[in-house]
Parts: sequence; C-alpha cells; structure tokens
Amino acid sequence: MAKTLICACEDVDLADVRRAFAAGHRDLESVKRYTGLGTGPCQGKSCVAAVTRELLRLGATPAEVLPFTARPPREPTALSALAALDPEALPIGHEGVPPEPPAPAGPSSAQVPPLPARADVVIVGGGIVGLSIAYELAVRGVTDVLVLERGYLNAGASGRNGGGVRAQWTTPAMIRLARRSLERCRTFAEDMGINVWFRRGGYLFLAPTPEHVGRIERNQQLHAREGLRTRILTPAQALEVVPELDPSTFLAASHNPDDGVVFPWPFLWGYATRAEALGVQVRTFTRVTGFRTAGAAITHVETDRGPVACGLVINAAGAWSKAVAALAGVATPNRPTRHEILVGEPLDPWLDPLVSLLGSGLYFSQSQRGELVGGMGDPAEPEGIVQGSTIRFLARFARAATRVVPRLAGVKVLRQWAGCYDVTPDNNPILGPAGFGNFFQVHGLVGHGFMMAPALAEVVADEIAGRARSELVAAFDLGRFSRGDAVREDFIIG
Amino acid sequence: MGRLPDPSFAPDCTIHLDGTPIPARAGEPLTVALLAAGRPLLARSHKYHRPRGPFCLSGTCHGCLVRVDGQPDVRACRTPCRDGLTVQTQHAFPTAAHDLLGVIDLATPHGLDHHHMGTSFGPLDRAVVAISRRLAGLGRLPDGAPPAPPPVVPEACDALVVGAGPAGLSAAERLATGGRRVLLADGEPRAGGRLRCRYDLPDDLEQGWAGAQVIRLADAGCEVALATSVLGLWLDDGAVAALLWQPGGPRLRLVRPRAVVVCAGGMAVPPLLADGDRPGVLWGRGLAVAVAEHGLVPGRAAAVLGQGAEAEALSARLSGIGLEVERLAAARRALGRGRVTGLERLDGTRLECDTVAVVAPPTPATDLARHLGAPVRFDEAAGAFALAVDTDGATGVPGLWAAGEVTGAMGAQRAAEAGRRAGEAARG
Repeated sequence: MAKTLICACEDVDLADVRRAFAAGHRDLESVKRYTGLGTGPCQGKSCVAAVTRELLRLGATPAEVLPFTARPPREPTALSALAALDPEALPIGHEGVPPEPPAPAGPSSAQVPPLPARADVVIVGGGIVGLSIAYELAVRGVTDVLVLERGYLNAGASGRNGGGVRAQWTTPAMIRLARRSLERCRTFAEDMGINVWFRRGGYLFLAPTPEHVGRIERNQQLHAREGLRTRILTPAQALEVVPELDPSTFLAASHNPDDGVVFPWPFLWGYATRAEALGVQVRTFTRVTGFRTAGAAITHVETDRGPVACGLVINAAGAWSKAVAALAGVATPNRPTRHEILVGEPLDPWLDPLVSLLGSGLYFSQSQRGELVGGMGDPAEPEGIVQGSTIRFLARFARAATRVVPRLAGVKVLRQWAGCYDVTPDNNPILGPAGFGNFFQVHGLVGHGFMMAPALAEVVADEIAGRARSELVAAFDLGRFSRGDAVREDFIIG
Repeated sequence: MGRLPDPSFAPDCTIHLDGTPIPARAGEPLTVALLAAGRPLLARSHKYHRPRGPFCLSGTCHGCLVRVDGQPDVRACRTPCRDGLTVQTQHAFPTAAHDLLGVIDLATPHGLDHHHMGTSFGPLDRAVVAISRRLAGLGRLPDGAPPAPPPVVPEACDALVVGAGPAGLSAAERLATGGRRVLLADGEPRAGGRLRCRYDLPDDLEQGWAGAQVIRLADAGCEVALATSVLGLWLDDGAVAALLWQPGGPRLRLVRPRAVVVCAGGMAVPPLLADGDRPGVLWGRGLAVAVAEHGLVPGRAAAVLGQGAEAEALSARLSGIGLEVERLAAARRALGRGRVTGLERLDGTRLECDTVAVVAPPTPATDLARHLGAPVRFDEAAGAFALAVDTDGATGVPGLWAAGEVTGAMGAQRAAEAGRRAGEAARG
C-alpha cells in the first residue's frame, strides 16, 4: 500500500495525522508534537498548509489550526556561523517581547464536555507534575480528580525541556528520588503503554576548575555510599566516553553510566491517558482565574469556563505556580526564569551521554532521533515568564559548545525555543499545604521537575491519599524560608 | 534529459557524486547539475528509507540534502557548483539507489506508530530503542569545521526588505528613493521572485522589469544582497534585530533595522498524493526557473499536475524544450520505486513520465513575520494562513510591514502595487 506523506522530512503519513486527530489532538501544536511533522530540517515549511487543510476537513476550527509557533532560525544554521557573534554585544531583557507566543485556541465548547460541578481534588497545571500526581492518586483509589491545563498538553516546561534524567545529585534525598524516577523511566513504556524512548547513555559532568573537581569528587563519595556507579574520569578517560571532546577544556569529569535521556512529550500523554482510564478528568485550554475561600479552606476553583467546587487543590502550575498561589493570596518566593534551548540537525549516533560543563550552564545530548539537543543558562537572564528566544543565547551556546566539542562547528541548528525554570531560593521544591489547609503546593522544581516528577508524584500521592507521611514534604514546606532552615542544592545545570 | 544546446549553459567543470564524475556549469545550483545528469535520487528518508530527491529547487523543502565536502545535510539547491565539489548521498545502506533498509517501507504498509511500538515487554522494548537509535539520523557528524565567518560587527539601517520579488523590489524602491538606507535581502542567487519563471502571465510584469529595478535600487543607494538568507527576526531588548547569512562569504550579519518589510512570497507545496514524495516530482516554479536560467531539460516526458494559467504556461515551456507533456488537474498516485516513472490517473489508467511538475498556490511564508508575533488569517485562495495586513501592509506589530504573496494569493502586478504602498508606509 502506498503511503501519502504529508511531511517528507519526518516521514509523517496522512494516516498519522488522522490517527492523531482521532486520539484527541485537534490543535496544530498538539498534532505537530504527536506526529512529529514540522520538526525536521524544513521546520514545517512544506507540510503546514496541507496539514491545516486536512485538520479543517476533519472538523477542526480555524482557531485550532493556527500555524505552530515559528521558531528561528528560518534555515538550518551552522554553530560556526553563530559563534561569529559576540554575546556581550547582545543585550538581554524582556522589553517588547511577548510573554509567550500566541497559543492556539481550544476547541469550541460544543466539542468538549463541561467542567464537573465538583471534584475531590482539583489539580492546577497539566504538566508532568500535575498529570503524574493525578495518575498516582487514581492508582491509590482517589479517582474524583480534575486536572486543569491552560493550554495544550506539553505547552509549558514539560514540553520544552531537554529530557535529561540523572541520579547524580548532592543530597541523599534527591539521589533516592532521582533513582526512583530513573526506574520509572526504564519501565514506563511497558507500564504505561506509550514509548518514551528512554536511553541510558549516562551523564558526563566536565569540571573545568580545581574547585569543580573538588565538588565532583565529594559528590562521587556520596554517590558511592548511595550505590551509584559514578566514576571520576581523567580527560583521557573521558575521551573514551566522548572521543570528540577537547580534553584541554576540563580537568576531570564525573560519569554515571546509568543516567539517561527521554523523549519528554509522551510522558504527558501516557499519564493523561492512563489517569483518564481510571476516572480522572483532564481539561485542556481551561484557565484558572481565581479561588473562592471560606475561613481556612478553598471552596471553589474559578476558571474561564466556570467554577468547580473542590475538596483539595494542588498547585502544580510550574512557572505559573507563583501566580496561581497569589490568586489565593498566598505569597511564594519562586522566581520563574527563562531558559533557552535549541535542537540541531539529525545525525547518526555519535554521542552517548548528556554532557554538561560545570560552572557554565552548558549542556547537550543527542536525542533518539539523532538531533543535538542543548541549552545554556544565562546568569544575566532577568526574572519573568517569557518564552521568546534570543540571538544572545545562540551566540553563547555556539561559542561554548564548539569549544568543548570542536566538531560541532559544522552542525546546524534547526530551531530554538525557551521554557521557564521555576526557581526557589534554595533550589529545592516547595511541597505541602500553604495558606489554606486544603491548598497543597508541588512546585519550585528549578528545571528538574521533569526528571523528578515520576518519583515525586508517588510520594505526594501517598501523602495525600493518607498512605504514608513523607519526610520530603516535611523538609520542603514553604515555612522553611521564614524559619531560615533551607539548605541549598548546588548541582543545577542549564 | 540534459541541457538546452546553448553555449551559456554548457558544462565547464566536474563534480563528483559518490565518486562518479558529473559535468556541471560553475555557479549553477548543484540540483541543476544532478537533474541534468539524470540523478535525482540523493538520499533515503528519515524513518522508512523511502527514496528522496530535490523537490522545490528553491531552498524550502530540504529534500535535496546531501553531504558536500564533508559537511552533512547541505541543501543541493543552495550550493553553487564548482570544479571538484565532492557530493555524497546520505542515509542509505549501501547506496541511495539500492538501499537494503528500503525494506522498512515495504514491511510497514500502514506506517510505524512510534508511540506504541516497543511497549510490550521490557527487554524487547529496550532492543527496539537500541535498534531505532542505530537507524536514526540523516547525515554523519561533519568531518571538520566548515570555513568560519569573520566576527560579526552589528549594522544599522532604516529598512530591511525581505524578498526580491515584485513586492520586495517595489517596496525597496519607494524606501530608497525616499532617502532611506535600505537593505534588500533574498536567499536566491537572482532577483525577481516568481518573475524568474518567465511565464509571461497576463498579470505579470514585463520581462526585464526585475533587472531594471535592481539597477534603479543600486543607483538609489540600496544594498541588494542576493544569496542572503534572513535567518530570523528577534526582539533584542526592545529593538528589532535580524540575522542574515551569506554562505558565499561565508558571512553572518547582525542588522538592526528601524523598519522591516516582509515580502517573502510563497513556499513550495508538495503534492498530497500517494507516493508523491518520489524523486523526479518537482515544484513547478522551481523547475521553470531552472529551465529559464540554466537550460535544464529535466527528462523526456513530464506530467504537469495542477490547473490554471501557471500550469498552462509551464506545460507550454516544457513542450517547448522538447518534453512530451500531459497536464492533469489531479492524479491518484505516483508510480516508480526509485525515480518517478509515471502517474496513475483518477480513472485508473497510467501515464508514463519521468518528471512530475506540481503547480499549486504557494504557501505564504509567514514564519519570519511571526517571529515578531505578526497575526495571520486564513486565505481561501492560497488554502493556507497568510499574514494579516491593512491596505498599507501594516501588520499591527510596530515597525513591521508585509506585502505580496506572503499576505495571500495575488498576481505579480498586484504584489508590486502592494509593495509600493508598504514601502511608502514604512518610510515613517
């Protein structure tokens, strides 16, 4: 049978688009993510008109099929070209930048079921944190759960991250949590019926200064006590893991072969689909606008589609969690901060681990499809929810990455985008009730929410379902900042 | 197939495709040399290992990716030929023409559902991940670094006009004659946009208009930068910044214009046709330009798929250079396991041909303006979203105007008129 390709870059068949639509992906951003169309070398220039017409024919509305966000560069551009830019000549700031690209509208009300009048648990935020908690609650018998997501699934940081999952942390609590997440990733495809392409290629942290070497050596001792296989490598040994590295750019490296990378998007679809099968309701394109309270409790969650009475409210809104908490009059110290990332052309496998240069914010890995995926935090980035892209990031990444791996000079960038880290003063999460007895916080995950969520959701669900008290929830309550007993986590990258 | 017998089209150098020498004309696009030599099959596709070759011939579709002088995934259509150029086909085992992995396509008549494969049993799932990783990627890591451009020195100008078609040339003229410092950029090596097809449609501008306009622009002090791609528009802490890439240098430019007029025109539309991705299926406008400017004779028999004045003009052109031509509004499927060998008509009969030329309303190239948040509207005539503008071409985004086919389907004369109005308005 002949295939009718709608996207020749990624080999997406017309039948794939119809399957995606039948699976509930009506807007073009979701169809892009579910089918992969528009993510190849031409970045959707060749398929966007045809897929738009097909979705309209299938019954989508023009508002739903607005073109997916156009992301620079318009043509694949070699890192060597971008490295000709001087990042210091490029200002960074948010003036004039739209806070986020225009999002597609949701389906009209005729096509979605109304919100329930009441739910035992209302989760604000349909990212991986909210959806994994919904799923884990349902597994524990708490099924009257409503998840509210303002955009499409994967619109926030859960759909914008680099997909790294590592156990190399600096405290026993985080190491144990991360190990549990790695275990969940390993069996996710089998357990949840959707492939997340988990690949154990390891993480390789490069230490460029004696101070960084001291840190990875101390961490390695902790890792050994916790049973991790982390090794400290000389530059020559690191070349055995990644032969393309320039060994003059670091003094030593920390390598754990059991860390890995995943393809982030299917996690959300997997959790949402399985949670819905257990009775959870997930409503996308539904924005929380306020809370009604009575005494020490929230009684209703107000949305742009009407109010919902609630038992418990979980704030799992990631970078928007501070704004959501503020709707209830609860102040949190979170600082949402943009982090930029890019993807390069697909190449034959050449890079096993995710590589990170300590102290620089630089990291990069190779995706299952062969693309270079890399980001770099910027100390000059101001606080604020902004998801636009900058030239400055391209310049900084190109210079740093081609210094660490000179052969990357000829690798071309296909697109850049940004998401927001939800940063807390001590780089640790905020967990547990705050302000109201029934207003449970799960946020402040500082760029590693994606990798921690699968394990964290089990802890939070145990706590909420009354199965187990968690030391984590006790240790990471909001009150620690006013008590002054916060302990800072320093192994943040990106 | 080959070239028209005009000395100005005659090969004067040799390139090498997987070691085979191929005659070429220095400076012509690599796709022209490959198509003239009857070699449209350049790679196998990402997932199913289907045969891949050039389609749009105009920088958009990325079907013509090859390895050039050790650099992977290079667009052949944007690579000028020169003596000794080394070209390698990609993503095939052992060769693009005879690829054993093509069995993946044959074995998956209903496609591969990558979400639900490898979800049955742990060890098997991990094997699926490992195998699919081995098969991933298009090209191999570059052999070495490509020539590095010099450090970028930021530039300023009054107006950046994107696209040297009827709209862009007109907008730039109004800006430049109004005393503005104008930079006009187009990714193609020659000015004219769709006029380069030389269709002489009723609503076209007269032959020679684009060339004369370029001279007028140069006289007025406008920089006409051809073979210059605008990579994007960014807001650089409140000010618009553009990156321009000149591969011929190579040179990267950072330009901070006070106004931008986007006249980026339309993009090629692949046919939504069973097996319509076969090599030898070409975008009509790109093919017409290759015939007009480089004397390409793409084959012996062509099907022109589409209708209207452009389809008629292209059919006449291809007949004129000696091809057997049949024009049809639609077809059921393309035939052939490598290069296209024919079309199955809607009535089930077969048409034998080695070239299919696709004529359809182009997709407005809205992406550049949308980098700055420009709004779009659905254009029925184009069957796609186009930039939403007022009568002066204002997009609603401060400092950003647009004109021509990027705002919806229209003829060349109307596009030029819209360009003039946008140029006037963008003078500020």
